[in-house]
Amino acid sequence: MEFIDGNLQLKEIQKLEGHTDRVWSLAWNPATGVAGIPAMLASCSGDKTVRIWQQPSSGQSSGSWECKAVLEETHTRTVRSCAWSPSGKLLATGSFDATIGIWEQIGNDFECVATLEGHENEVKSVSWNSSGSLLATCSRDKSVWIWEVLPGNEFECVSVLQGHTQDVKMVQWHPFVDVLFSCSYDNTVKVWAEDGDSDDWHCVQTLGEANNGHSSTVWALSFNSTGDKMATCSDDLTLKIWETDRHAMNEGCAPWRHCCTLAGYHDRTIFSVHWSRDGVIATGAADDAIRLFVENTDGSVDGPLYKMLLKKEKAHNMDVNSVQWNNTETRLLASTSDDATVKIWEFASVP
Amino acid sequence: MSEKFSPTLRIGDLNDYIAPSQGCIVSLKGLKATTTTKQDKIENQGKAALPIKPSQTEPVKISLKDCLACSGCITSAETVMLEKQSLVEFLSNLESGKAVIISFSAQSRASLAVHFGLSPLQVFRKLTTFFKSLGAKVIFDISCSRDLSLIEACNEFVTRFKQHHSSDVEGRNLSLPMLSSACPGWICYAEKTLGSYILPYISSVKSPQQAIGAAIKHHICQKMGFKLDNVYHVTVMPCYDKKLEAARDDFVFSVEPQGEDGPEDYASLMVTEVDSVLTTGEVLELIQLKSVDFKALEESPLDRLLTNVDEEGHLYGVNGSSGGYAETIFRFAAKVLFGNEIEGPLDFKTIRNSDFQEINLEVEGKTVLKFALCYGFRNLQNIVRKIKIGKCDYHFLEVMACPSGCLNGGGQIKPKAGQSAKNLIQSLETVYMEDIFVANPFENPLIKDLYEEWLGEPGSEKARRHIHTAYHPMVKSIAADLHNW
Repeated sequence: MEFIDGNLQLKEIQKLEGHTDRVWSLAWNPATGVAGIPAMLASCSGDKTVRIWQQPSSGQSSGSWECKAVLEETHTRTVRSCAWSPSGKLLATGSFDATIGIWEQIGNDFECVATLEGHENEVKSVSWNSSGSLLATCSRDKSVWIWEVLPGNEFECVSVLQGHTQDVKMVQWHPFVDVLFSCSYDNTVKVWAEDGDSDDWHCVQTLGEANNGHSSTVWALSFNSTGDKMATCSDDLTLKIWETDRHAMNEGCAPWRHCCTLAGYHDRTIFSVHWSRDGVIATGAADDAIRLFVENTDGSVDGPLYKMLLKKEKAHNMDVNSVQWNNTETRLLASTSDDATVKIWEFASVP
Repeated sequence: MSEKFSPTLRIGDLNDYIAPSQGCIVSLKGLKATTTTKQDKIENQGKAALPIKPSQTEPVKISLKDCLACSGCITSAETVMLEKQSLVEFLSNLESGKAVIISFSAQSRASLAVHFGLSPLQVFRKLTTFFKSLGAKVIFDISCSRDLSLIEACNEFVTRFKQHHSSDVEGRNLSLPMLSSACPGWICYAEKTLGSYILPYISSVKSPQQAIGAAIKHHICQKMGFKLDNVYHVTVMPCYDKKLEAARDDFVFSVEPQGEDGPEDYASLMVTEVDSVLTTGEVLELIQLKSVDFKALEESPLDRLLTNVDEEGHLYGVNGSSGGYAETIFRFAAKVLFGNEIEGPLDFKTIRNSDFQEINLEVEGKTVLKFALCYGFRNLQNIVRKIKIGKCDYHFLEVMACPSGCLNGGGQIKPKAGQSAKNLIQSLETVYMEDIFVANPFENPLIKDLYEEWLGEPGSEKARRHIHTAYHPMVKSIAADLHNW
């Protein structure tokens, strides 16, 4: 996709209000926004709740996004992370109360159908693998857990991975293969894969400062649509792009190497990065701004590999904690912030 | 350093240790200690928390007892242990002329056997030569006291099983599943993290290490004519966590004034069952330190008072490289409760992964006994969760914190260059029972003697006093909560 500099904008569609404390993270329901089903997203907050928001149905374009449900009275502390299973049927929520909630939509209600305990303290992130058969979770207890989804909403722990030396900020499965990525306060990104001949998981690669990695907390990571590139963002004020061999990766697991570092664009911590299916990388940072980057296709040999398309100053009144592109309507972006709001944006040409 | 501990102790808050004392609560009493060197986004709810500034602080002196009594981290204890339970301490006790008694675990024997390419019996004989040349008085075999622990555990299981099937509702609820108690990493985790909902299920029987400690300090010393205040008892174990176990208050007793020694001598003597624990790796270090050609050492006769060795000099013991709890209790329960004497090896079936294996006894198409081996943190977690929600249908679980069980303990000799950990475990499994006769603990003549001369019978009041123990849920202190927000 070609983007012409200068005539693009991030247009605020709506500000979603309802949370009473900072909003940490959000997740688009992958089964919605297609085939006439209105798009749905979940947002989670320091107010211990998850809110489910729904797009106005197509007939009423003037209508506004509405809060369809509030998932409350289950987590006793901040809900830090949420993720929909690939089928969109289950929502996993990770909380500072050290538990993970599994929610199922029954009619118009969401019911907590399982609670996963085991982490020693604050759960920071949850992620489903591409088939929905595995759930990964991570915590301030420095560990990464992999749970297998069994029939009847039973979950069994298949691995407890203890490679990080500090708080693990985020876990994220590769979009196609069962290889898990985690990033941490220990400044590294770790790659985890299942052992060929045994039945446990182990760390197959650590991307640290010695591999041109980050020099401070790595907050988030995201893959491009083909699964051969990964973006990571950090407290070191840089965004890094990593690459691997696509075919080898899809066969199992291939090593990742540093591709480039985007420095000088951010002057505060970058909390969130998300790569759209169209190849636009969004970042959310502590300077309240959202920035968009794309691969530089102007053909110059010495030019930067990636360039900034735009910077939305004051996207929120406070830190932007999370940015997420919609999976089908690729120009729809949602963001969450310490200002207790969720915002829906449209990435479009200036009319 | 903390990698020496079992993975269960390394999890989460249990794995901060003192040098970079960010997790230590005790230290907060005196100094504000932290290693936070960079600022994190404060992710807790209250925004009042002040940014933590890095500060240089002296490591705080804390005793192992402080650590064990604390609900915070566990491995802070490591620095302390390195002082109290080290080779240096061991050698200084040898030099001070104490009667040093060393009890060897079968797993440590196997580790050294694989390392030197010898059989476990050869290793044991050579170790006897080696330690006696250093001045040790007696070398014992923990396989022997393990038979005592196993008999007590068999007895406890049958009692619990009957209780479970009785009409007493309260007793029924907390009696099964019975969980093994020999693994100190598991016990520590259960006490510090899981607490009162899991502790009633844990067998009250002491581990083989503590059972031999009790036998030596309560009975054998008198028999051999050693004065308790002059005895220094060391165990050699495959496991670092065993050092924490030996230091528990539950395993210290006071000796009342007695005999011709006069009251003043013994008036306030506190006796520790196991004075110090060395790991297999530390013993190898000692062998290297003394520049001994271990393979060339002569083979000494074994001290037979607490060693599973028969008239012909053959070693004997139970199957199962993590103590054989599930197997021994399964056979006993099948026989005693269902009149079913099982011949031949037990057919453990792998469920989900090799660290979770199950065995059932069926009577008339109905499963009457359901046992499992449950090793490693992930399997332990699943079982604990099932017990919590009342969905665990096992009668007995042999729980070990380490994947592959005790042969893979953190204190074992590391794989040689080029050797995979998996390959080493396979060698250890093979060598473990090499030239060792499988024997029923109930037929062990040494144990029969112990019951006859000292304990009476399995489950007796005296056996309960000396070979059983209790567990204590750790109440999280306010300081711990503050620290963790």
